[in-house]
Amino acid sequence: MAAEGEALMAAERAETSTAPAAAATESAANGKPAASWKPAMVLGIDESEHSYYALEWTIHHFFAPGQPQQYHLIVVSAKPPAASVIGIAGIGTAELLPKVELDLKRASARVIDKAKEHCSHVTDVSYEVKEGDARNVLCEAVERHHADMLVMGSHGYGAFKRAVLGSVSDYCTHNAHCTVMIVKQPKHHKKHEQLGFHRKDA
Amino acid sequence: MEEMSAEAAAMASGMLPGAGAGGAEGTTMKVVVAVDASEESLHGLSWALDNVVRHHPGASVVVVHAQHRADHFAYPVAGHGLQYVPPTAVDSVRRTHEDNSRRVVSVALDVCRQKQASATAVVVEGDAKEAICRAVEDMHADLLVLGSRGLGKIKRAFLGSVSDYLVHHASCPVLIVKPPNKAHHK
Repeated sequence: MAAEGEALMAAERAETSTAPAAAATESAANGKPAASWKPAMVLGIDESEHSYYALEWTIHHFFAPGQPQQYHLIVVSAKPPAASVIGIAGIGTAELLPKVELDLKRASARVIDKAKEHCSHVTDVSYEVKEGDARNVLCEAVERHHADMLVMGSHGYGAFKRAVLGSVSDYCTHNAHCTVMIVKQPKHHKKHEQLGFHRKDA
Repeated sequence: MEEMSAEAAAMASGMLPGAGAGGAEGTTMKVVVAVDASEESLHGLSWALDNVVRHHPGASVVVVHAQHRADHFAYPVAGHGLQYVPPTAVDSVRRTHEDNSRRVVSVALDVCRQKQASATAVVVEGDAKEAICRAVEDMHADLLVLGSRGLGKIKRAFLGSVSDYLVHHASCPVLIVKPPNKAHHK
């Protein structure tokens, strides 16, 4: 029951002739290229509660244990460059930079570890940490993996915060070249939005 | 849902009762797809059926269409100020809206039938974004699917106001499907 959408995607894949991670892992397992092809889903995560909720929801609904896995899952986290976090250089930035860099690396590793715990039953999954702004990292990951779906949480910023801080989910919804799914925490879960500074990696 | 027209109530009577409480097993999912007369929304429905519903054996599909409300007051095109619309005119406008809704819904249900997905339809009346948002909440949907115009050429494009509103206000995750020529752009 190959729907026209999938046929189109399969044709595109044949054209580009790159071997997406899905095909590589699949052929290793089965030795059968076309039959075991799975569409790719990029799941963007950061260290926020919203993101963790999105991860849990997606695993629960799309990668439930015991169900055959329908998507090749790629979990992507963006690590902001240290310079962007420190901001305009002041005195002592040079010493600060490596410390901040190390701290950011550790934070990204923690995010991935937490995700791995949750995805332990998912057989076909890969994890990536890429440096850069989350917006670009996620859209670029979609391109690179020829993903059919991009999933992420949302910080649930109001209009003002979105305008000032920028919204990763808004950006990706418009600019990713695939279906985008935004998983928000239901309203009764949402804590009262804090005033003051959030992390820059909104 | 006092906004629903009498027809909608009749259509909705086929709806699965309370199936959407988050699903105890991973696969029971209530997928609500918002449709209008546009190609993009039908493509969204089609994509969702192929890529989401097909993989979730217990999933239920509800097609939602927001119908314009026929008001007793209208702003006439070539006039000024508010003009009272006599009941007969209101009725004929309402009937036109209902005809449109019926057409949209039947096309959507046809698509579902072709893909062998059983679906029910709901027509809600009023302002599209609020009506769909309320419907999603009332139905305890697990996922809301929308087509998008994919206005890629325009740099600072934003989603249509309905889609934008729903992404930020819907009580469940929202899935935005891009039109086929936009997706998989090299």
